[in-house]
Amino acid sequence: MKKRKLMALALSCVMVCSMTACGGKDTGSDQSASTSTPAPAPAEKEEAPAEKASTTENTDSQTPTGSTQAADITLWTYPIGSWGDSATVDGLIANFNAVYPDIKVTVEYLDYTNGDDQINTAIEGKQAPDLVMEGPERLVANWGAKGLMVDLGDLWTDDAKSLIYDSVQNACKSNDGVFYEYPLCMTAHTMAINRDIFEAADALQYLDEETGTWTTENFQKAVQAVYDYGQTNVGAVYCSGQGGDQGTRALINNLYGGTFTNPEHTEYTANSAENIKALELLKSMDGINFDASIAGGDEINMFCNGTFAMAFCWNVSQEKNNLENISFDALPMAFPSEDGIPQLCGGIWGFGIFDNGDPAKIEAAKTFIDFMANDEKQVVESVKASNYWPVKDLGNIYDGDALMTEYSKFVEYMGDYYQVVGGWAEARTAWWNMLQQVGSGTDVATAVEEFVTTANTAAAQ
Amino acid sequence: MSKNNSMSKALVRRETIAGYAFMLPSLIFFLGFVIYPMVQCVFTSFFDATMNREDIFIGLANYKELFQDKVFLGALKNTVIIVVVSVPVTCIFSLWVSSVIYDLAGPACSAFRCIFYLPVVTGSVAVAVVWKWMFNNYYGIFNYIGTNTGLIEKNINWLGDEKFALGCIILILLTTSVGQPIVLYVSALNNVDQSLVEAAEVDGATKFQCFWKIKWSQIMPTTLYILVITTINSFQCFALIQLLTSGGPNHSTDTIMYYIYYNAFKLYRYGYGNAMGVVLAIIIALLSAVQFKMAESK
Repeated sequence: MKKRKLMALALSCVMVCSMTACGGKDTGSDQSASTSTPAPAPAEKEEAPAEKASTTENTDSQTPTGSTQAADITLWTYPIGSWGDSATVDGLIANFNAVYPDIKVTVEYLDYTNGDDQINTAIEGKQAPDLVMEGPERLVANWGAKGLMVDLGDLWTDDAKSLIYDSVQNACKSNDGVFYEYPLCMTAHTMAINRDIFEAADALQYLDEETGTWTTENFQKAVQAVYDYGQTNVGAVYCSGQGGDQGTRALINNLYGGTFTNPEHTEYTANSAENIKALELLKSMDGINFDASIAGGDEINMFCNGTFAMAFCWNVSQEKNNLENISFDALPMAFPSEDGIPQLCGGIWGFGIFDNGDPAKIEAAKTFIDFMANDEKQVVESVKASNYWPVKDLGNIYDGDALMTEYSKFVEYMGDYYQVVGGWAEARTAWWNMLQQVGSGTDVATAVEEFVTTANTAAAQ
Repeated sequence: MSKNNSMSKALVRRETIAGYAFMLPSLIFFLGFVIYPMVQCVFTSFFDATMNREDIFIGLANYKELFQDKVFLGALKNTVIIVVVSVPVTCIFSLWVSSVIYDLAGPACSAFRCIFYLPVVTGSVAVAVVWKWMFNNYYGIFNYIGTNTGLIEKNINWLGDEKFALGCIILILLTTSVGQPIVLYVSALNNVDQSLVEAAEVDGATKFQCFWKIKWSQIMPTTLYILVITTINSFQCFALIQLLTSGGPNHSTDTIMYYIYYNAFKLYRYGYGNAMGVVLAIIIALLSAVQFKMAESK
């Protein structure tokens, strides 16, 4: 009997312990996350002020703004170049901790498939990260508009405003002028062609390799030449989901000079005659398929493995990430436009701070942003880690890097950053649904009208 | 006598307390992760609830909107098609496989059970990636075999054509659904009273009669369980849709579960998503009740 009681007691203990293990957040769960930089050892902490002074001197750092009060902060980052790579981010945070040893930064790495869900779940569970690295469409138009983010106006000093490009500044603030993002880097999304196939099809004559531009007319001729050469799958207007949708938007907007929104970013304008004409052109072209079974990522893979002769979802990171998979010469190109001067869809990435109600953490997060984006030496390293370009003139930070130099010519073509328009999440879904409708034979004008109605209704809410 | 009675009562009380104590951890989980969310779901469905804003009570407006929402009605239709096709096919196919393999020699039976169970224990992402590759419009194995054998004239965009997409989803769902029913049926068939079967055979019953008159009635509780579980799983089809089609093309593979996810997690319409969840739960409960009733009457 005693044995049984003991056994029962032991079993109960095991069950209670297992419940505890599954239970609430404790320090252990923090440790299970990717902690990029461990808290400095006591000895290091004691030496911090001297070390800080010395590092600041050595790196010609600007005087850090804000408090350096000790705090533990969390940074959640989307895979923006090597900002999604723990080894690189560990190095960046080590630089930060060399100057600010009392601020411990714990990093969580997100992906674009589940990242939004993870953050939204965290917000609902009152566990939002202190810092998040992404673009204005999320930081400003989504979480900022919902009142979840901290106003970063104090980081946007007059100096910062005079240095950061105007188009980037406009993208980082809400319609009522509140800055919810402090930007670090940007890029212009391009398309790419399989130069080997184009050469074999004698289609290189239709494009300007030096500037990476071409006209709509020449684009048509080039696609036809490649198709006639025997490459029946020249390119695909992918539309199985929202992944890489900036490519299809840029393609359609550029062909005849259409726009996605009005200049004030308050209304969707994709039902313009120019966009309708562009969609009708694409639908009629041999070799261009409206494919509802693939999204941007699939298209990139199929371009890299030679299935397609061109990719509409491309930028320098795609080329860097796929160098080993590409057995041909991939030539980056701007999207074709009537006059040959494109308006490329841009990507701007930077930091935002969730308002978790702890002033010390908010200050520490601002210190982190200031260091990463404004410290004269660090900012170059921070930008280089993204594989993109700075949002202010830092000189040629990629001097000697042939690939980055090749892609840098596209930055000047960066067009309006309209992704901060209201109802963005619903509009993105409506966009690829509209492309699917066009692909399956629905009248183009009807399909785009439905898209604009859905998107504008969402924007008005 | 009264002393014995009071001792017995004390014993019963002690055992009851011990029983509840053992149940307590599970009960806490059940209340916290099943009952509380259910109540919360019903409660929230009466509100216009979104992120970082006070909920606004709107009564039955979410439910009213549901039945005017073409996408929801389309998703409901697709879900019903999945259930109507998937549940009987899963049950019939698994019963057929089980009756063939249950009396095989031990290792052979185990091997078949492993093979059919493998897709169940394989992660849905891995399953989806493999099927996506097989259905690929440009170099998928189905198109390769189809065009080379002359079954199809040109490549079919299996997941990108609304005529085929839902069928493809159902096919994948079948492969991941039959594993558990097969294991359960094999076990149930092995538990059928062999003396009854032998007696019937002696009396001249055919194999079909033995199955229908003896085995079928004895495996009815298993069948009921499989019907209910498969129905619920089919109604909750989500991962395959999210990973393969995102509800497209042209909403032809939208299901209620996917539409709930889309509204709750992409559009932050928590109240509306919860209203859909309530409707789905009611439909599943009604169907399960009907299945139980039908099984009882048999």
